Amino acid sequence: MSTSGGVTTVYVPRDSAARSVGADEVADAIGAEAGRPLRVVRNGSRGMLWLEPLVEVETPSGRIAYGPVAPEDVGELVAAGMLDGADHPLRLGLTEDIDWLRDQTRVTFARVGVVDPLSAEDYVAHGGLAGLRRALSLSPEQVVTEITESGLRGRGGAGFPAGIKWKTVREAKSELKFVCCNADEGDSGTFADRMLMEGDPFTLIEGMAIAAWAAGASEGYIYVRSEYPDAIATLRAAISTAYDHGWLGKRVLDSELSFDLFVRVGGGAYICGEETSMLESLEGKRGMVRAKPPIPALEGLFGKPTVVNNVLTLGSVPMILADGAAAFADLGVGRSRGTQVFQLGGNIARGGIVETAFGITLGDLVERYGGGTRSGRPVRAVQVGGPLGAYLPTSRFDLPMDYEAFAAADAMVGHGGVVVFDDTVDMAGQARFAMEFCAAESCGKCTPCRVGAVRGVEVIDRIVAGVDRKKNLKVLDDLCDLMTEGSLCAMGGLTPMPVKSALAHFPGDFGTTTEEGR
Amino acid sequence: MSLIKEQDYGTPARPGEATVSVEIDGTTVMVPEGTSVMRAASEAGIDIPKLCATDSLEPFGSCRLCLVDIDGRKGSPASCTTPCTPGMKVRTQTPKLAELRRGVMELYISDHPLDCLTCPTNGDCELQDMAGVVGLREVRYGFDGENHLDLPTDSSNPYFDYDASKCIACSRCVRACDEVQGTFALTLEGRGFATKIAAGAGGSFMESDCVSCGACVQACPTATLQERSVVELGMPTRSVLTTCAYCGVGCSFKAELRGDEVVRMVPYKDGKANEGHSCVKGRFAFGYASHPDRQLKPLMRERITDPWREVEWGEAVEYVGRRMLEIQTHHGAGAIGGITSSRCTNEEVYAVQKMVRAAFGNNNVDTCARVCHSPTGYGLKQTYGTSAGTQDFKSVEKADVILVIGANPTDAHPVFASRIKRRLRQGAQLIVADPRKIDLVRSPHVEAQHHLRLMPGTNVALINAMAHVVVTEGLVDREFVAERCEDFSEWERFISGPEHSPEAVEEITGVPASEVRAATRLYAGARNATIMYGLGVTEHSQGSTMVMGMANLAMATGNIGREGVGVNPLRGQNNVQGSCDMGSFPHELPGYRHVSDDAVRSVFETLWGRTLQSEPGLRIPNMFDAAIDGSFRALFVQGEDIVQSDPNTKHVTAALSALDLVVVQDLFLNETSKYAHVFLPGTSFLEKDGTFTNAERRINRVRPVMAPKTGKHEWQIVCEIAQAMGYPMKYDNSAQIMDEIAMTTPTFSGVSFAKLDQVGSVQWPCNDGAPEGTPIMHIDEFVRGKGRFIETVYVPTQERSTRKFPLILTTGRILSQYNVGAQTRRTGNTAWHPEDLLEMHPHDAEVRGVRDGDTVSLTSRVGETSLRVKIDDRMPVGVVYTTFHHPVTGANVVTTEHSDWATNCPEYKVTAVEVALRNPAPAPAAPAMAE
Amino acid sequence: MTSTHTPPHIRLANEIAAQFQRHDPAAASQEIANHIRTFWDPRMRSKLIADAGAPGSGLDPLAVAAAALLPPPTGN
Repeated sequence: MSTSGGVTTVYVPRDSAARSVGADEVADAIGAEAGRPLRVVRNGSRGMLWLEPLVEVETPSGRIAYGPVAPEDVGELVAAGMLDGADHPLRLGLTEDIDWLRDQTRVTFARVGVVDPLSAEDYVAHGGLAGLRRALSLSPEQVVTEITESGLRGRGGAGFPAGIKWKTVREAKSELKFVCCNADEGDSGTFADRMLMEGDPFTLIEGMAIAAWAAGASEGYIYVRSEYPDAIATLRAAISTAYDHGWLGKRVLDSELSFDLFVRVGGGAYICGEETSMLESLEGKRGMVRAKPPIPALEGLFGKPTVVNNVLTLGSVPMILADGAAAFADLGVGRSRGTQVFQLGGNIARGGIVETAFGITLGDLVERYGGGTRSGRPVRAVQVGGPLGAYLPTSRFDLPMDYEAFAAADAMVGHGGVVVFDDTVDMAGQARFAMEFCAAESCGKCTPCRVGAVRGVEVIDRIVAGVDRKKNLKVLDDLCDLMTEGSLCAMGGLTPMPVKSALAHFPGDFGTTTEEGR
Repeated sequence: MSLIKEQDYGTPARPGEATVSVEIDGTTVMVPEGTSVMRAASEAGIDIPKLCATDSLEPFGSCRLCLVDIDGRKGSPASCTTPCTPGMKVRTQTPKLAELRRGVMELYISDHPLDCLTCPTNGDCELQDMAGVVGLREVRYGFDGENHLDLPTDSSNPYFDYDASKCIACSRCVRACDEVQGTFALTLEGRGFATKIAAGAGGSFMESDCVSCGACVQACPTATLQERSVVELGMPTRSVLTTCAYCGVGCSFKAELRGDEVVRMVPYKDGKANEGHSCVKGRFAFGYASHPDRQLKPLMRERITDPWREVEWGEAVEYVGRRMLEIQTHHGAGAIGGITSSRCTNEEVYAVQKMVRAAFGNNNVDTCARVCHSPTGYGLKQTYGTSAGTQDFKSVEKADVILVIGANPTDAHPVFASRIKRRLRQGAQLIVADPRKIDLVRSPHVEAQHHLRLMPGTNVALINAMAHVVVTEGLVDREFVAERCEDFSEWERFISGPEHSPEAVEEITGVPASEVRAATRLYAGARNATIMYGLGVTEHSQGSTMVMGMANLAMATGNIGREGVGVNPLRGQNNVQGSCDMGSFPHELPGYRHVSDDAVRSVFETLWGRTLQSEPGLRIPNMFDAAIDGSFRALFVQGEDIVQSDPNTKHVTAALSALDLVVVQDLFLNETSKYAHVFLPGTSFLEKDGTFTNAERRINRVRPVMAPKTGKHEWQIVCEIAQAMGYPMKYDNSAQIMDEIAMTTPTFSGVSFAKLDQVGSVQWPCNDGAPEGTPIMHIDEFVRGKGRFIETVYVPTQERSTRKFPLILTTGRILSQYNVGAQTRRTGNTAWHPEDLLEMHPHDAEVRGVRDGDTVSLTSRVGETSLRVKIDDRMPVGVVYTTFHHPVTGANVVTTEHSDWATNCPEYKVTAVEVALRNPAPAPAAPAMAE
Repeated sequence: MTSTHTPPHIRLANEIAAQFQRHDPAAASQEIANHIRTFWDPRMRSKLIADAGAPGSGLDPLAVAAAALLPPPTGN
């Protein structure tokens, strides 16, 4: 296989995380140093980011991984026989046997890192289109039922059941409906959307086509943040290929479905990751939150019924249709079914993508997969679910990754970002940062968020400075309640979560006692 | 009388049949489906605190003061954005809600100046009110945090200030600009705490697209956007409901006063014509009423070359009466006449026509509507049986296709234009027939599906082509035509002729045939299609024909007799409709009844005690012709500057110079008064007591906010002149005049001041058959019985471009100025339009070596004037355009004697001209050279 | 451009006549006469009747025919 026709196949990721640590130079160096016919495939990343650039060589026994490979390592590696899978200190063995990867359950990310992201043939060879073909053989109602039964919930953070949303759009009366993919992945410490778009864009396209069929939509938009130029380019190329192959456009796969798909690039506002702001932005307006009702499923883009789902949600759909709802629903715990693509980041030894069924504990993720901190110091806090998620102390490492369990602990799973801090972290500073972030990124519409966040920063400063501490703790508490209860959207509504969790779990950092903090 | 404050329900009404029942604080309320919890509560008398909500705007949900508690709902939903659902149980007051609301107010006030006592809006500030309502006692954040208190004030607009330091970012101004006005000039800039209101791209209000309609000022809950008059004079203390005296929309206003000084004019929400909206003229340009230029005492002189001499009323009136009688003695009863004004009240107009018919003893009375909408009266009467538009303004909310012909509503009828634009944003489609690319063709969120860019003077060819398409493509509403109309088959044969096909007339109109066909299919295929037209239809030699052509088109497609359809003139002046209704035409008594009708005449003869003439009198152009040939010797002119506004100035001044007596009744000495022997000072609308009738036949009350500055009402003077001529004519008040109108005129028999005070306004016919008036006409049958199809032959105007005069001049109006500018030129509106400009296509300018800003001569075969050029590709090649707001321009020096064949309405819209460079504009950046 | 020098009643009558050119002459002249009767001041009507008889008046033949149908004014 590997040397068929005398050509050796080498995989060097094109993922921007890999490129940021020299993957392009590594690929160039391999080409220059190989001295034999070579096929260099620029695949997606396997998600083991501490090993990037991760080079894989196709051998008769399978894909052998080397990493992290610096450009200057290439000469030595080639000389050592890397192109034949020979041994070397950087050799990691068969990729699929790396336990970090082996222990995962890759559903949404099944093809990421495996295939050439822009090869239609690769895609089909690795099970692509099976979901769409099956969906088109079913009625839209049956597809909606399948999604409902799979238990798939929105991966963007809110965890709303996708089937219910699709059903609402399906049943709305309108000549024009849309499917919009939220790819404005703005949460700090999250990168799964990007990696899927860069590593397996056809999966997203297929998922959106299935959603279009189920909901009765004819047009789709992927709203990608401008900070993701590689993802944008990859998606555009993939969409073009998909049109060429009849996977998009009129009569998709010779079915009754007609579906046009477009990429739209955001303008750098965090708030545009909030679905109604995203719709405003897609309409060409200032990204500002809309009051609900009306819900987007009934009055979404340009006032038409619209499915708005996150990249990971739509990316899970092809597998659900291909393998059946039960296969997906069998994974997970409680009302959190299927897998979640966790993203390990921050001060962590082994950062990257861990896709696994819901139910794994936070501690397992941070310690078993993540290997503790990169600094080697003890873990002090973990923020789960992005900048608006709660800070959890190691004492809560027992928490299972499950929407309801997290909610009960005044925390949230969110988009699956897990950011680790060691014992040098100042949690009052982190709380202040949450308010600062909100003040900077608020859309400016509702008062609790627009003004409250600024006052939040000021109040925390006073608390830390010891000014009227008791009174100001009460003010902060009232402000947090107001923001939680009174904000128009999750931005203002969730900002108190990191603040209150920091205060609850790390009161000393505020110069206060636990008692005062309560 | 105190200040009128309309109730603010917080969110707009949701009209609908289906209702839902909800329980709010234990009270059960029934509301139409879709009504917000906030509005339902308000209707039940329960006020929920609010700042970002106001019932002229869609709910926004930003202030978070209106949070409520709803059974079975998580959290505290905002009552403004939550629609009522059946059985919903709502609590508007709980300890938790009180705490949240106080928390919100605490945040607001932490970033707001604490200068209530010295703030111009003290006592009229919603922020202040809400602080009280929620019981805010402390701002625990203090006042030294980050804030906006240092933001500067933008005073670029002549009428209002934008004080950014007081802004609470509720976005009401932005939304008012979008939703109410439809200009989209304002926006929010910046993110988060830095969010602020910005005009245009962040410059000043004057640099932006702002049209100064005042909707933002009206919507602002704080002192951020504030009328400068309030800043300077303080809060008004009482309101008088009255009607705007500018265009034919007839907006209702609250004149808000301190004593008898007008502090501001605020559009009245319950006014049916405008529903709380306004434009820069009505809202702000009222200062002319107290302008020092106003002449308040009568003036007299023997010869027009003599200086004026101020006299007492008695002397002036006695002189006019005596001279009129003398002239009649020497030159016959028909040697004198009068012109009524479309700017005056119905009662004042009625008095003048009565003076002419009873005291002068002839029918030489005409109105300035002669020169604007007389073809409307003729055309719609011939086809439908009544000389008025068919719809109310509100009807446009049901239109699916709107055909705008020869009208420029965003400039000339701005408040109605906002209604049109709102409907267009909701998805209605638009066809514009106009030589110019008017704003409606393409402006924010509005785009015409078809712009039929015809050459001036070819309206009839175009409308015939459209009718041809309707007939030949099977688009006729056969059922409607068979049931409701007559003379259809003859007309059908006529209009089917190949000479009317779009292809055949393409050469004439300049509009591609395919475009005409597509537009016609759109119009004819709509569920409801309506026609709106203006002076671009009437002021042509075929004006009446064109009105009938549109009437035919509407009938053929069944677009008459219900909401959303019709044929609607946009009247130029506030009381064009009324002045016509009041018997101002030389051939018609009040109510459009011909003077030859013995029965009608006898009604008036009995009441007035005089025998009336049964033959028509002279129309305005006929008066001028007769003056020049010597058979017409004296003219009473009520509130119209005929020298500036009528065509062919040289001809008009020659006629006036030939008269023995010219009496002008006006606010200001004007171009016409230069030829007058007697000047009788008139009253502004703020002094008048009476009614105006707008373009939708709506009779609105005009209430005085002060006594006449001249000491007398205009109708009183008219009565005194009649008496001086030996005819007893006397009323105690203007209500009595309306009573007489009601007594003599069947379409007005149900109208009285008492009725209007009670119901606000009515649309005539208002009588026993329609006691509440008639919003939409011709519902079951046409006024004349059957709608009549009339063949509309296209007879081209004789005014054609030639080698010597290769361009066609057309004239119009601009937003900030009004008509001859007598009023608006005496207000801050000159900030926008200090002079009349000649708009010209770049190509036409290029071949003449003319650059933007150059002064050019404008010459027609009858005269020459000069003005500066504005190069603008909204003009088609070969057509130039100007306004006639400034006397110095004298646009009518060049317009000709051509007129509508049926009514003599002048052909202002087509004059062959040439343009030549006179003085180049100074080079843009040339520094002044020291001599 | 002679219209400036044409007497107004002739110009106006011709403009009205132009509208009815395609009608049957008898009907057209009746329509024109009706229009003039409805809208014209008697002194203009008198002039028209007077000029209609004169050769070289410049009047449209239909207007001439219409003038013949107009009753002379009874004095005003």
